[in-house]
Amino acid sequence: MSTISLHDTHNHDNHDDHGHHKETFLTKYVFSQDHKMIAKQFLITGIIMAVIAMGLSILFRLQLAWPEKNFPILETFLGKWAEGGRIKPDFYLALVTIHGTIMVFFVLTAGLSGTFSNLLIPLQIGARDMASPFLNMLSYWFFFAACVIMMSSFFIQTGPASAGWTVYPPLSALPTAISGSGLGMTLWLISMVLFVASSLMGGINYVSTILNMRTKGMDMWKMPLTIWAFFLTAVLGILSFPVLVAGVVLLIFDRSFGTSFYLSDIVLGTQVLPNEGGSPILWQHLFWFLGHPEVYIVIMPAMGLSSEIMSVNSRKPIFGYHAMIYSLIGITILSFIVWGHHMFVTGMNPLLGGVFMITTLIIAVPSAVKTFNWLATLWRGNIRFTPAMLFAIGMVSFFISGGLTGIFLGNASLDINLHDTYFVIAHFHLVMGSAAIFGMLAGVYHYFPKMFGRLMDSKLGYLHFWITFICAYLVFFPLHFLGLDGVPRRYYAFTEFEFMHKWVTVNILVTWSAIIAALAQVAFLFNFFYSIFKGKVSSQNPWGANTLEWTTPVERIHGNWPGEIPTVYRWPYDYSKPGAEEDFIPQTVPFSQTMTSNMPHDFEGNSESERIQREWEAKNKNASSTDASKLD
Amino acid sequence: MVHTLKEQDLSAGTGFDGKPKKFLIWLFIVSSTIMFGGWTSYYIVFAASKGKGHGLVLPDVFIYSTVVLLLSSLFLFLASKALKKDNISAQKLFLWITLVLGLAFGYLQFDAWSALFHTGAVLVNNNAAISMIYIVSGFHLLHIFAGLCFILSNLFGAYTGLSLEKRKFRMEIASIFWHFIDILWIYLYVFLLLNS
Repeated sequence: MSTISLHDTHNHDNHDDHGHHKETFLTKYVFSQDHKMIAKQFLITGIIMAVIAMGLSILFRLQLAWPEKNFPILETFLGKWAEGGRIKPDFYLALVTIHGTIMVFFVLTAGLSGTFSNLLIPLQIGARDMASPFLNMLSYWFFFAACVIMMSSFFIQTGPASAGWTVYPPLSALPTAISGSGLGMTLWLISMVLFVASSLMGGINYVSTILNMRTKGMDMWKMPLTIWAFFLTAVLGILSFPVLVAGVVLLIFDRSFGTSFYLSDIVLGTQVLPNEGGSPILWQHLFWFLGHPEVYIVIMPAMGLSSEIMSVNSRKPIFGYHAMIYSLIGITILSFIVWGHHMFVTGMNPLLGGVFMITTLIIAVPSAVKTFNWLATLWRGNIRFTPAMLFAIGMVSFFISGGLTGIFLGNASLDINLHDTYFVIAHFHLVMGSAAIFGMLAGVYHYFPKMFGRLMDSKLGYLHFWITFICAYLVFFPLHFLGLDGVPRRYYAFTEFEFMHKWVTVNILVTWSAIIAALAQVAFLFNFFYSIFKGKVSSQNPWGANTLEWTTPVERIHGNWPGEIPTVYRWPYDYSKPGAEEDFIPQTVPFSQTMTSNMPHDFEGNSESERIQREWEAKNKNASSTDASKLD
Repeated sequence: MVHTLKEQDLSAGTGFDGKPKKFLIWLFIVSSTIMFGGWTSYYIVFAASKGKGHGLVLPDVFIYSTVVLLLSSLFLFLASKALKKDNISAQKLFLWITLVLGLAFGYLQFDAWSALFHTGAVLVNNNAAISMIYIVSGFHLLHIFAGLCFILSNLFGAYTGLSLEKRKFRMEIASIFWHFIDILWIYLYVFLLLNS
């Protein structure tokens, strides 16, 4: 008897030594080492940060639309930063800086990768948990600390960092240059170091888990595109984030110890600074060597999620599975040799600019491959317009309309006109802002049942989608025209310059659209939090999907599968296969159970399997022909 | 009888699989290399655009510290060999020697900084290439500190009688990391020598 019970507790192979002890509230919900709980922690923290960053954007949109108007309520909340109900110029700069920082790093990097890599990697490759659950837990808590420190800068005398999310020196390096470059900037730098530590701990965990812990039969070419996207995203992070740390360390030394890595020949007021010999351009090199891969860190998980969701809801195999992977790999490699396109106007050698221009424009190729493959996946599909599907299609829409303007901006000569104008704002808010957030929302609607065992309400989902989709276009599309007219980004008041006057009316439209879009998020927030507790209980596989995560029980147990981890026999996209009984065949179904639908290429050249299939087909044909002859 | 058989079966079946965790260390090494790569590329671009490097004769202490670090790597290798031969007392001895050599390396680095400081090549310098010497050697020293923690965890394992599997795993992790920071220092030192 004792033998049996002993055997039972140890039956979960690879199920290290956790799971035997009782969980307390603290170990289950707070310092959890379970990847699914950590995913939820990342998601909810990410949502809170997104709401904060969206609030900040509404504040500065108010200033842009009504630069002369007073909003007494602002003074009630912001105090001296909005004296008389008008946002101060210093605070305006802080708002745009923190909005950008939170959105890029805290929402679209940690909130997106942190949530879905954690949730889906072990579930979709068939593993009990991450390579190091402990490191995974640390990753979340470093991220949490980074969030707290970033937000704490709103509660200090001199206010948050204000040198823009790229924190270019010398503005960011001289504590006396603007009020935001004081303590606020120091907090920004500390927060970012913690953030990078968090994303490295996450990233090395994701890569190691994917490479070492796939279940039996799950070779790299049977992995869902989500996993490929998370894998390459993590690789990008490991290779690029350390460079940001290198740059940030030098900036910290310049600020706090008086070195001259980025500083030279500076006169502050009447005071000549002793720093000599440094170069602020070097910060830009180090920053953009991370910064450009960073935009792919943001968009690739959204691409992976959209690919998966579009295939499931079109009830069709993803079009060009291998091309999708090779284009992701292409984007990954190219992303490291394009950073110079952020620096065309820094006095860069035109020849070097030309090289960066070519590498940049080549990225259009893998991006177009992906776009056409998504459209071809939709083509003649049995489309189910679930909210997740709508958001995935929305992601493709934004990726196209934002990506096209990238071709303009990638040109070294056109960039002379367009650099630092609203054209750039329009471009990246569509292609990496809206597209990535739509990919993330698609993931939230689609995987909500996997996280909470319940479904989100789809009516509210449709409302959320349509208002957000239309308003996002209304917000960002008009900004192209401001940019083409030469209106620079980050300017506080459009009334200060004659040629910008006429754009104030457009700003009013943009701001109203932004406010309506923000209100639409209330529908999402209500839906999300209400459904966690009161949503319709989900079935095990609510979307009829093939991937492994839907073979786990709805209750989401620690260790994921109650018994053995299932074995994988086929790729994840056998939807609507001719001859099959249902319109999906999960990855765990062996070919021997689907004799009616097997195709010659399914066997990947395995002659024994092909022979068995041929024999079965010959026998079956005979049987059906004898059936037919009986009828005669 | 059946019971013992089962237990043997199980210990073979639930064997502690360190491979994914060991891979984490390799990935950390990649990212750490890139961080130092960021600084040395800063140095190269800086030196190329200004037409000058740090322009110093590096203090001799750096040679001694390099030798000490190389020796520490050697002793860690011996410790790992001793563990493979199940010679725990030798392993403990070699680990202690590695630890002491690691601490000596740290001391010598401070010594080298003070030698630099006394020649006027201070951290706060209008030649960023000189400041960079402090940055790379300082951050390398942080890695040494982390490496010493790994060595301590091995010593701890050796004295508390952790399972052999886990001790071997810790030994492997410490070896990978310690040899890496050894090679990293040689890279940095040679880099600084060549780019004066």
